[in-house]
Amino acid sequence: MPELGRAALVLCLGLALFALIGGAYAAATRRRRLARAAQNALLAAFGTAAVASGVLLAALLRNDFSFVYVADHTSLELPTPYTISAFLGGQEGSLLLWLLVLTGFSAAAVALARRTGPDILAWVVPVLGLVTTFFAFMLVAVSSPFATQIAPPDGAGLNPSLQNPYMMIHPPFLYLGYVGLTIPFAFAMGALLARRTDELWIVATRRWTLFAWTALGIGQLLGAHWAYVEVGWGGYYAWDPVENAALMPWLAATAFLHSVMIQEKRGMLKVWNMLLVILAFCLALFGTFLTRSGVISSIHSFTQSPLGGWFLGFICLVTVGSLALVMSRLPLLRSKTRMESLVSREATFLYNNLLLVALCLTILWGVVFPILTQAVRGEQITVSGPYYNFFLRIFGIPLLLLMGIGPLVAWRRASLRSLGRSFAWPAGIALAAGLVLLLLGAGSSWIGLVAYTFAFFVLGSIGYEFARGTRARHALSGGSWPAAFAELVARNRRRYGGYVVHAAIVLLAIGIVGSNAYDKVKEQKLSPGQTMAIGNYRLTYRELVKRNGPNATEYRALLDVRRGGSSLGTISSGKNNYRAEQQVSNEVGIRSDHLTGEDLFVIADQINPDNSVNFKVLVKPLVNLIWLSGFVFFIGSLVALWPSAAEQRRLASRYRDLRALARA
Amino acid sequence: MARSGSPVRLVVALSVAAVLAIFLLYVSVAGGTPSIQPSQLKCCGDVALVGKVTGTPVGDGHAAQGLRFRLQDVAGGSASVPVVYRGSVPDLFKVGREVRLEGRLQGGVFVAKRDSLRTKCPSKYTPEKRT
Amino acid sequence: MTALAFVLGGLLAGACVLYVALPFLREPDPSDDVLGVPGALEQRALELAERRDRALAALKELEFDHRTGKVSDEDYRALVGPLRQRVAEALRAFELRAESSEERVRARG
Repeated sequence: MPELGRAALVLCLGLALFALIGGAYAAATRRRRLARAAQNALLAAFGTAAVASGVLLAALLRNDFSFVYVADHTSLELPTPYTISAFLGGQEGSLLLWLLVLTGFSAAAVALARRTGPDILAWVVPVLGLVTTFFAFMLVAVSSPFATQIAPPDGAGLNPSLQNPYMMIHPPFLYLGYVGLTIPFAFAMGALLARRTDELWIVATRRWTLFAWTALGIGQLLGAHWAYVEVGWGGYYAWDPVENAALMPWLAATAFLHSVMIQEKRGMLKVWNMLLVILAFCLALFGTFLTRSGVISSIHSFTQSPLGGWFLGFICLVTVGSLALVMSRLPLLRSKTRMESLVSREATFLYNNLLLVALCLTILWGVVFPILTQAVRGEQITVSGPYYNFFLRIFGIPLLLLMGIGPLVAWRRASLRSLGRSFAWPAGIALAAGLVLLLLGAGSSWIGLVAYTFAFFVLGSIGYEFARGTRARHALSGGSWPAAFAELVARNRRRYGGYVVHAAIVLLAIGIVGSNAYDKVKEQKLSPGQTMAIGNYRLTYRELVKRNGPNATEYRALLDVRRGGSSLGTISSGKNNYRAEQQVSNEVGIRSDHLTGEDLFVIADQINPDNSVNFKVLVKPLVNLIWLSGFVFFIGSLVALWPSAAEQRRLASRYRDLRALARA
Repeated sequence: MARSGSPVRLVVALSVAAVLAIFLLYVSVAGGTPSIQPSQLKCCGDVALVGKVTGTPVGDGHAAQGLRFRLQDVAGGSASVPVVYRGSVPDLFKVGREVRLEGRLQGGVFVAKRDSLRTKCPSKYTPEKRT
Repeated sequence: MTALAFVLGGLLAGACVLYVALPFLREPDPSDDVLGVPGALEQRALELAERRDRALAALKELEFDHRTGKVSDEDYRALVGPLRQRVAEALRAFELRAESSEERVRARG
């Protein structure tokens, strides 16, 4: 069936081109039926992408090794769930997934926006068509998943580190995020092309942005968790270019989510928002490019994949084109409102934006630094952990503090007196917590102590906000306190959902600080029967066992864990030797303490012929807060995303009035 | 607040200036590490050496004498440098694999920093494995 | 296999072409084929509508912030007057625009 797959992709390319060219022509010359036809082309493109995806999926499930892609990424003994996830295991398949999600989202966005803004939609279609054309072209001409060969008896198998449940869901979440950022970008460009000065593009894409941002955030947490349990070096983030590739657009999107609120409420920062959405989208493309082309981790740029050049060219085209568009529409984006005070919620949002963008750009600089120095000095200079951690602290700690200040400050202008009153409780909580932590020994890392204090300030301010909001609601409408709380949240979903998300970020920060600033590491070689001590744990290496798994030979060192005299059970740590792929993977042993959030992390670094093992053991305090924060993050986003009937009615009437007036 | 000229622009400009200042201060003080290959290796200074493992690796990263092997340019060629390394050895380490180490050249031998050995993953899609 | 692939491919292509041509097939001879675009008047009306909504939302938020204690009494007194004025202006401007559009409609008959 590869011919069907190829045909579907060619059709997709054709439809995307029609959406781009026909759509642009229709929008420029105001032809209604042609614009509609272009919309349909985008919808049909989704159909063809789905067919192509179906062909590849069927080939995977059939173990059809006449498909080069299937032979390269699966094997006969690969368990079925991983055979399915092999769809994303290679370059061609993940490009196809990009195309599928892109066309799917485009179809949904078009269908949902049909009624509210046909004129802006007429321009959104060609922009989406442009991006779809690029990816379809890549799949048709440069990197096709439907290359065929004479079927070998067995395939090469999937990279063992991808044979993990996390690696099945981490890429899809990231893709939902990357592709999701295309929609606000397309609407922003559409609004500029249509010369609209109103906020329809923001209103129409607010939930898309929030959804994409959430998916990107959760995708990164999943990736970090995978790195923690599967790659197993004791950490979860290494500032690797591929990791930064997802962090950068997320930071830009975070800034965008906040500054867009200022535009909605005060009509300010229109140019800034345009620039941010362009930055977020370009970084999403750049992120895909970094992960796909291997251009930065390789020594010789661009020789690893032909994709690199095309991607870079497309990113340049998009960047230059969208910036030129913004420049040409600059008069339309002038706002008449001025920021009244540097002590107002608008101002804190602005500071937050500046810090986020600064962090994002310093990470970007660090990522491209090797390439730049190679071009300029002929020598590649890389920066690593210390560089990134330095800037994370410089920008991150003030950001943490701002998260606590922002909610306490009113819009427009806040007098220092009312600020002082609002700050009293949260600041008090923070200082008390700081003192307690100091007494508990947190002073060993002063940065950690500062970060913890700020974290408690934020939690205090969020709690305070919920408390006084509930009290006000209760005073208004009576009833029970839980009912008042529910009504408070229901009536202000964005605000209180946002507070929950802030709480999640604080948990994340506490987890990161705890596991980085207060961790312990010890390396020791043990023979069976010997014991090592770390923190207040004692580990005794009992024996080494060997087992034949479905596609690997598994070696496990068993250790007994004791703490303070009582037994905490057994930990096993070792390696897997994958037969088909001929690779060895690290299988670490982790014991999570659910009360303190602490992890005991055991790595069997080297298994020696005499059954002695070189162990590396880490104690990571509070690290499980990081994973917990993911759930809180999800709940907060859900609350903020939840549609509100009242809001929908209000917005619909605003744009319906317009259409009624337009007919006049 | 001045009526003409928004405080926003002033704040933005000052912030950008502050960021640049911190940035330049840091980069000039700490700097990055040059990434070079065995054929380019000269004396003196900490570098990140990238190359392909060649010859027969001898020894144990965790033992006192460390792991000894030779490193050649990724593209091959005759230039190779002896390396002595102490620390964790990644599972993917073997002859013919591309690796990266930090350290410095001392007396004709590249002495690597402890635990700085990284292997380049054979698959494009997976990030580097590390221990 | 190949024959089936061709047939399916052909059907897919046909379906796509049909779907794209649908607007033209449904209305082979329409009375007008112009894509409605908001003119300057409509843009202005939308701007006023947004300004009205913004002012109303700000007032509502000020009231709520005052009730929760985020905005002190004196800040509230200082802010609420101008804000109410802004709301009144925005509403008035929007009504005026709506009235004049209705007149235009009636004038055209």
